[in-house]
Amino acid sequence: MKIKCLTILFVLCILSSCAPLSPNEKTLDKFSAYSFDYFDTVTTVSGYAESQEAFDEIANSVLADLGEYHRLFTIYHRFEGMENLCTINELANGVHRTVTVDRRIIDMLMYAKDMYEKTNGRVNIAMGSVLSIWHDYREMGMSDPASAELPPMDQLTAAAEHTDINCLVIDEESSTVTLTDPAMKLDVGAIAKGYAVEMVAQRLEEQGVTGFVLNVGGNVRTVGAKGNGEKWVVGIENPTDNEEKPYLAYLGLAGEALVTSGSYQRYYLVDGKRYHHIIDPDTLMPTEGFTSVSILTGSSADGDALSTALFCMSFEDGLALIESMPSTEAMWVFHDGREVTSSGFDTYRTK
Amino acid sequence: MDQNQNIPTPASPDGRGDHQGKDVRRGRNDIIFISALLLILAIIGLGFFLFRKEGSSVTVEVGGQVYGEYSLSRDTVVDIATGDGELNRLVIRDGKAFVETATCPDGICVGHRPISRMGESIVCLPHQIVITVTDGVDEGPDIVV
Ligand SMILES: [Zn+2]
Repeated sequence: MKIKCLTILFVLCILSSCAPLSPNEKTLDKFSAYSFDYFDTVTTVSGYAESQEAFDEIANSVLADLGEYHRLFTIYHRFEGMENLCTINELANGVHRTVTVDRRIIDMLMYAKDMYEKTNGRVNIAMGSVLSIWHDYREMGMSDPASAELPPMDQLTAAAEHTDINCLVIDEESSTVTLTDPAMKLDVGAIAKGYAVEMVAQRLEEQGVTGFVLNVGGNVRTVGAKGNGEKWVVGIENPTDNEEKPYLAYLGLAGEALVTSGSYQRYYLVDGKRYHHIIDPDTLMPTEGFTSVSILTGSSADGDALSTALFCMSFEDGLALIESMPSTEAMWVFHDGREVTSSGFDTYRTK
Repeated sequence: MDQNQNIPTPASPDGRGDHQGKDVRRGRNDIIFISALLLILAIIGLGFFLFRKEGSSVTVEVGGQVYGEYSLSRDTVVDIATGDGELNRLVIRDGKAFVETATCPDGICVGHRPISRMGESIVCLPHQIVITVTDGVDEGPDIVV
């Protein structure tokens, strides 16, 4: 009789372990939504919700917010009746106008100036004139690979004369922006995505949302833990096909951000050689040191800026910078496959 | 002493009969119980087996719309046509999915390693294609960067 009771108990245990949650808890399912409309990359919103409708309500608000930030921060499109980064860059009668902009642009530009200081100039949004040359050559090279070429160095060095961040004048009081060098342009590609994701994530947190994760082109920001209270497991992709090791690292996040910049993410080929999109402010050429750099920190804005900064630094300088920042970790992957991590990185590993 | 204990105590024929009947009934109940148990376990096992066998598939989405769903357990070739003669050739082989050829300008989707674990995906940005492993058997990470 005892054995029978134990057997029944055993079977019940097996059966109950098959059920997703115990009956007194709300059943949360995982949902996802994609968009290709923002920041020239793919956006994924995932989250745990009681129903598709409950998820859609939050996901749609996230996508709407990201859309707003995209329109404000894009340097490639202007929108009727709206001042944005694109209109700040435009010339009127040979000079830049003083443009009255949305508060969100002022905040982002001030953040960018702050990161310029913190990264010793490695993150410089005043590099637009140089980056636009690379952008044009990359677009041409991708649409017509046979005639792909590199930008002439004299053109790049001429443009680099006009990348002084101090020529970006921000008046917080009147919410205006002026570029005092007519030949300079802003390019916020190194920070805009991570910054926008961070702003949207903070808004969700203020509203008490949890169990969500935003991923805009490798800028991942978790909002709380997963629906079941476990940490989100983020895998850092191994760019080379390796059955033994599909991910370089598995990291457990609950509220933090992880941003990876990889030289394999956006590039074009010239004579069979890859030229990626992260340009060293000193050499004016794509950086050569690393295959990828990942940053794990509280804010995806910091993660985005720092991943670009570390790409443009020696490993030693980057490590010193990361170790000087609280709750900030990094992983560098070298071209020979070697991985090096900052001192506290391993504490986030899940396996 | 031992012998004494081993000698069955005489009992009335009625009592003996009752006792025997109980034994038979209990034996039969045990058989039913164990059979039922085995049956339940077999059903659970079969469920797991079927899930393993047919579970893994990839979902192809183009511009946010579901284009198709393909089992990873059957080798196949899918030409994903996104209009204007643009094509991405999805190949499923040995339980893995990869993009063999594509007309996109960057070719990043073609360079992506084959995917097979739950949640893994291949993106073709120019053609707005997302290929994701859904209902996978092997649990991958929640998010991939
Ligand atoms: Zn592609």
